[in-house]
Amino acid sequence: MERPFLGFGLGLRTDHYQYVIENKPQVDWFEIISENYMVPGGKPLANLDKIRHDYPIVMHGVSMSIGSTDPLNKSYLKKLKKLIDRVEPHWISDHLCWTSVNQINSHDLLPLPYDETTIEHIVERIKQVQDILGRQMLIENLSSYVTYNDSEMPEWEFVNEIAKRADCYLLLDINNIFVSANNHHYEPQNYVDGIDSDRVMQFHLAGHSYNGNMIIDTHDHDVCDPVWDLYGYALERFGAVSTMIERDDNIPPFMTLRDELAIAEKIAGKVLTKEQLQLTSGTFLKGAL
Amino acid sequence: MSNLHELQHRFMDYLLAKSTAVVNDIQSTPVLDAKDRLDIYASAYKLRLKEAITTDYDKLASYLGDEQFDQLMEQYIVQYPSHTDSLRYFSVNLPELVRDESPFNEVKELYEIASIERAFANSFDAKDLPFTTITELASLPATAWGALQFKVQDSLQLLNLRYNSFPIWKALSDEITPPKAEMAEPTEWVLWRRSNLVSHYRVLSKEESVLIRLAINGESFSVMCESLLDYYSEEEIPMKAVGYLQSWIQEEMLSGLSY
Repeated sequence: MERPFLGFGLGLRTDHYQYVIENKPQVDWFEIISENYMVPGGKPLANLDKIRHDYPIVMHGVSMSIGSTDPLNKSYLKKLKKLIDRVEPHWISDHLCWTSVNQINSHDLLPLPYDETTIEHIVERIKQVQDILGRQMLIENLSSYVTYNDSEMPEWEFVNEIAKRADCYLLLDINNIFVSANNHHYEPQNYVDGIDSDRVMQFHLAGHSYNGNMIIDTHDHDVCDPVWDLYGYALERFGAVSTMIERDDNIPPFMTLRDELAIAEKIAGKVLTKEQLQLTSGTFLKGAL
Repeated sequence: MSNLHELQHRFMDYLLAKSTAVVNDIQSTPVLDAKDRLDIYASAYKLRLKEAITTDYDKLASYLGDEQFDQLMEQYIVQYPSHTDSLRYFSVNLPELVRDESPFNEVKELYEIASIERAFANSFDAKDLPFTTITELASLPATAWGALQFKVQDSLQLLNLRYNSFPIWKALSDEITPPKAEMAEPTEWVLWRRSNLVSHYRVLSKEESVLIRLAINGESFSVMCESLLDYYSEEEIPMKAVGYLQSWIQEEMLSGLSY
């Protein structure tokens, strides 16, 4: 499989709008949080239009609640489709989680039990979403802090099985693998080794915080060395994968984040060949650009 | 799916502090027991919602102080669990809680300050519409005027205030000590977003307030003119009414004319 490679990107945050619009810094692409732009109009969409003019964009959602037992939120999907039509992203993603039940939204990415019944439930819902949106999507692995008694398999088996049966792709969050491995006491390399390479389309990198023996996925620090090491390990296994850094709190100046992204570029330059790192704009994702 | 649904229901009840039954669904480890693991989610749930409220009502937060604002947020989170898919809209009912619930309803200006903040948020990302121009008004045929109707910008909102809440809000915005709250004659304010995407606000006279309400309700220009009979002679009215229309257009409040 020849996977499309967008290069190295950053999460677009309001703190950086002005800098990006005025200076057009060298970044291969930006990832937006879809819900921030699912508004009627005004500055958020005006700024997004300007930035979209100069950069490739991918869309990342937090509210699809694909694992919920509530009916699919058609109104949400309608707004998402409208934004997709406006932005024309290279791809869209959301999380392998649930956020709401009984129409109450936690606004958090809540974990699922890893069992066959849940797989069947989610596969059916991803298929429906892909039909409604007319395109394939990516699903992202979570940071998690609990394990359900009902879970029957390792998380990577659960993730693989869903991606294969739903015919969707994976946004592999390297930091989340590290966080969950620590919190659930397994080797993060086992997770990377267990993931089907053909399904991986994007990487996330981020910082985290310690709370006693637990690691919390806070996105408020720089990416730490063990996560950089795991990133290098993942590149060796999967080859070139579009990579971006998420920062949601304690946000530094834009160029500080750009410098951090250069670390990812440097690691990729050591692990991969120039040919592998050639940017490709084409994609085999159904319905995508 | 009933098992998964019930599990999610129990998990949500833990976040809402209604039940701890889900503890029995979670593995404890020597490092951390099930309850402590769930508490990571419970803390994050509350923290995230409080961050959203504070972002939307930062002037009210300054006015109330940390302790009282935290009490308000705690009350809001319990009384108004989120039914929206975006945090942007989670706190939209906060002014109503402040208006209706003790002890906040005892401080009357709080509702008005909260309403001002909500109006700014609504104006910020309201739908983009075209702006009516003076040329469009000038090119209307003479026969159009009687039945002429107006569409205002979606961002335009009216606030009927009984206290000096806008000066209080402005002082909080400028991070200076706000004036003492004082009750006065009810005053109508208009708040809207102009083409530079910046929201503006100003006070309305009584007659302009009546006129703009009629325009919002889709009444015709002739009905709007009739409303000015309480203030002006019949000869003065056309010029006064057109004067208001011109100022609304110049201030970019209108988005369409129809007849």
